[in-house]
Amino acid sequence: MSRYAVNSLLYRLKKDAEFRARFGADPAGAIADLDLTTAERDAFVARDMRRINELGGYLHLVLSIPGLAVHPPRR
Amino acid sequence: MGRIVFAAAMSHVLDPDYYERVCGAEGRRKTEEAMTAIAAMGERFSATRADALIVVADDHLNAFSFNCVPAMCVRIGREVERMRQDHAEAFDAVLEHMPARYPLHEQLANAILEQGTAAGFDLALSWEAPVDHAFLAPINTMHGTRAIPPLVPIWINCFVAPQPTARRCFAFGQHIARVVARSRWNVGIIATGGLSHFPELSVARIGETDSVFDARLIDWMERGEHEPLQELAADELHKTGSHEFLNWMVLLGAVSPAPAEVRYFGELPRINLAAVEWRLA
Repeated sequence: MSRYAVNSLLYRLKKDAEFRARFGADPAGAIADLDLTTAERDAFVARDMRRINELGGYLHLVLSIPGLAVHPPRR
Repeated sequence: MGRIVFAAAMSHVLDPDYYERVCGAEGRRKTEEAMTAIAAMGERFSATRADALIVVADDHLNAFSFNCVPAMCVRIGREVERMRQDHAEAFDAVLEHMPARYPLHEQLANAILEQGTAAGFDLALSWEAPVDHAFLAPINTMHGTRAIPPLVPIWINCFVAPQPTARRCFAFGQHIARVVARSRWNVGIIATGGLSHFPELSVARIGETDSVFDARLIDWMERGEHEPLQELAADELHKTGSHEFLNWMVLLGAVSPAPAEVRYFGELPRINLAAVEWRLA
């Protein structure tokens, strides 16, 4: 698990609108050069924020990235 | 001689729309009730005509990224900006209708920083960090359309392990009280966040709170028993979703042994909303 790589990518997705758009169009291509494990890469490509959180992604980032934020069901 | 003339702590996602989305009509109702209690506290604060308001809160990985996560950071300078976020989601969206800039109490911030360093607190400082909802939702709810006095924003690292200990946060609050006492200013202090929510910072556990743990914290605060609170361990705060109570620990150090009075406590599936005020001597 590369905690830094996961979270710096989440932060960039939140704060860098241009990168976010590139990721939206081609997730695998946008993160191709990043130092991620296979599990982390698969989770990002699937836009699976719950899985990214399980892999070490900070909760407040996975809850607040525009267009990608996870929205847990109402309880 | 300066004095702390007002002290309060409160939840900081003060957005009825957000809680209606995630908790239904009860979410809206209880958020509005909490905000009413916080607005009333704000009226009492404004009546003190304090020279400054110290705000102890946490960053949600907005102001600080992974190039630096300070344990404790004092915002210095002459003004602070609201965080900007394009297409804001969730708790970021509440910022959009708030004023963009806020004055700072430069002298008090510098005194806390410089005297803190001299006293052994290796504090971080920032001239540029913006403030997010953790600061601005309580401040704006308290003041409504009234003028907001110069602020001293202070960040505590509540989320990125390893966090400062509860005991260290309390000691930092004691330092703040000494600085204020040596100054010529009357000062308010608020701490924001909580109570229990987001245990273990896990998406899978969103929707869980720990009302038993919150009741213990409140009981100790009401009785002014601050030693057991200083013994709270990082793991205990993490498992119960009480990360942001570290902000409250700073306030407790600043006002100890004053007893707390609960102005509002409302249980929701996602969070226990709270508004607490201290009875100062």
